[in-house]
Amino acid sequence: MIVISADQLSKKFTVIRREKGLKGALSSLIHPEKITVNAVDNVSLKIEKGEIVGFIGPNGAGKSTTVKMMTGILHPTSGSVEINGLSPFKDRKKVVRELGVVFGQRTQLYWDLRLGESFELLKRIYQISDSMYKANMKQMDEVLGINEFIHIPVRQLSLGQRMRGELAAAMLHSPPVLFLDEPTIGLDVEGKHSIRKFIREINQRYGTTVILTTHDLDDVEQLCSRLIVINHGRIVEDGPLQDIAERMAPYRFLVLEIASPGIGIRHPLADTVRQNGNQVWLRFRKSEISASRLISDLCYSYPVLDLKIKEPDIEDMIRELYKLNDKTGSGVCN
Amino acid sequence: MYLSRVAEYMDKLRYYLSVASYSMKLSMKKQLEYPMEIISCFAMIPMMYATGILLLYFLTQNLKSIGGWTFPQLAFLYGIGDLSHGIMVVFSVQNWFLDRYVNRGEFDRMLLRPLNVFFQFSVSYVNIIGIMDVLVGLSVFIYSCVLVKFSWTFSNIVRLVVIILGAALIRSSIFTIFCSVAFWTKRCSAVTALMNDMLERTTLYPMTIYPRLLQLMLTLIIPVAFISFFPSCCFLGIDSSFRLPADAAVMTPAIGIITFILAQAVFNWGLRNYESSGS
Repeated sequence: MIVISADQLSKKFTVIRREKGLKGALSSLIHPEKITVNAVDNVSLKIEKGEIVGFIGPNGAGKSTTVKMMTGILHPTSGSVEINGLSPFKDRKKVVRELGVVFGQRTQLYWDLRLGESFELLKRIYQISDSMYKANMKQMDEVLGINEFIHIPVRQLSLGQRMRGELAAAMLHSPPVLFLDEPTIGLDVEGKHSIRKFIREINQRYGTTVILTTHDLDDVEQLCSRLIVINHGRIVEDGPLQDIAERMAPYRFLVLEIASPGIGIRHPLADTVRQNGNQVWLRFRKSEISASRLISDLCYSYPVLDLKIKEPDIEDMIRELYKLNDKTGSGVCN
Repeated sequence: MYLSRVAEYMDKLRYYLSVASYSMKLSMKKQLEYPMEIISCFAMIPMMYATGILLLYFLTQNLKSIGGWTFPQLAFLYGIGDLSHGIMVVFSVQNWFLDRYVNRGEFDRMLLRPLNVFFQFSVSYVNIIGIMDVLVGLSVFIYSCVLVKFSWTFSNIVRLVVIILGAALIRSSIFTIFCSVAFWTKRCSAVTALMNDMLERTTLYPMTIYPRLLQLMLTLIIPVAFISFFPSCCFLGIDSSFRLPADAAVMTPAIGIITFILAQAVFNWGLRNYESSGS
């Protein structure tokens, strides 16, 4: 079942280019030079129920703008979005009832009030019954340890505690769809771990569909069954992480430690890319030769002491992907 | 069928009231976290009002009357204006700071809730400091009632209450309409200051001292005259030189409701233009 579908979604912003200095400021008052920025450009996607989708891209790529359009905060310039078959602009109130949203960089909680008071207000807004509220709060406490700091004003919480509070607030009315905009930003390892655990758990228990924008590739690796890469407002990759990795970085490396330096190691299906001292790096394609075959071939002909296989670095791969895209397109047009 | 519709509306009303009351309660709690600010403002406000009433007093000492109005009559006019201002300041002062809501992306949060955004905005703040405005306004008003020998009959009290609530609604709607400019310009503090000055000056004196064109504008375009001028004329039996179709007790609340509806429309128009703030 398709939960979210976007069709040719675009958002243009008009910005005025400011000239330098006072003279420039005056001239842009009289003759404003308007520039149209395509923040989001023809984005089409479909997300199935129960998916955890990672939305990645460099700063200013259009991730947040896309999320804001999907949640009804921004109106698209053209194209359409549907959540469970309803438009977030025409049926905003109905649609947002089904959504939980967390913006990592901006709190949904009341800064000067105790965490529990924000929850109480949400209980009233979403008309959550007392029994339901109690059950949900109990569960939030189990997974996120909310009760530890529920009586502390939000401004005094640590970032990790606040983030856990934000997640609990977003899930209080048990929405079937959860949007998380950089939920792990600035958190320590412990904090990231508990957030990821929570996401996995609600996804498995309730089949919650999760859309996650992030800069943290560990988030993607550990959580997402599907990855959407966006750059300059356009989708440049969409698919399972493994597939994208296969395509973008089809190589793996075999690192050997040999008995004596100076032995030239050769294999017809692998390239020797580096050799310093006893260490030799070989690059090979998964599709051409399996790792076990390569290892047995090499061990047969050379004095190999030790070995390890290195998977391609996703971070490098994504960086490559952004660079590739920078050459082909630009988001600014006049 | 009819009854179930009524029950439905009652449920809806109860729902909105429960959100409104809790939201307002939280807003007051928030302010009590910083008590010093409240105390210092409490000391300032009476002085501001004292200057207004003293100004009128000294002017009439020298001029005998302004536009044919004596000091007690002017005090009554000022009293209604003050009291309605106080009520507006308690419940809708957030209009003055609409630009902050825009620039901080506060409307993002409201747009994510299954409730009317204008409603959420309206109940998002109750200004504790404004209670001082109401208290001072009330004292000025009662003092002026004594001066003009106001007759406290039941019907007069009812008329007074609906007039003052209507006047507060007019004031608040004027601010909503003009401050909604922040949706486009991201700023509204200049507009706020301008409207505050305008309202202060036009409600302090009887409108008859202004040229006819200005009087018409203050009646038909920005309906300031309905805040205190027409009601004072009605109560004091002074000719306003306008023929109103009904008593001020009907006109002022009616104009209040009309401007309120208009204010909501302008606000929603602005909200459609809202571009969030980047993150």
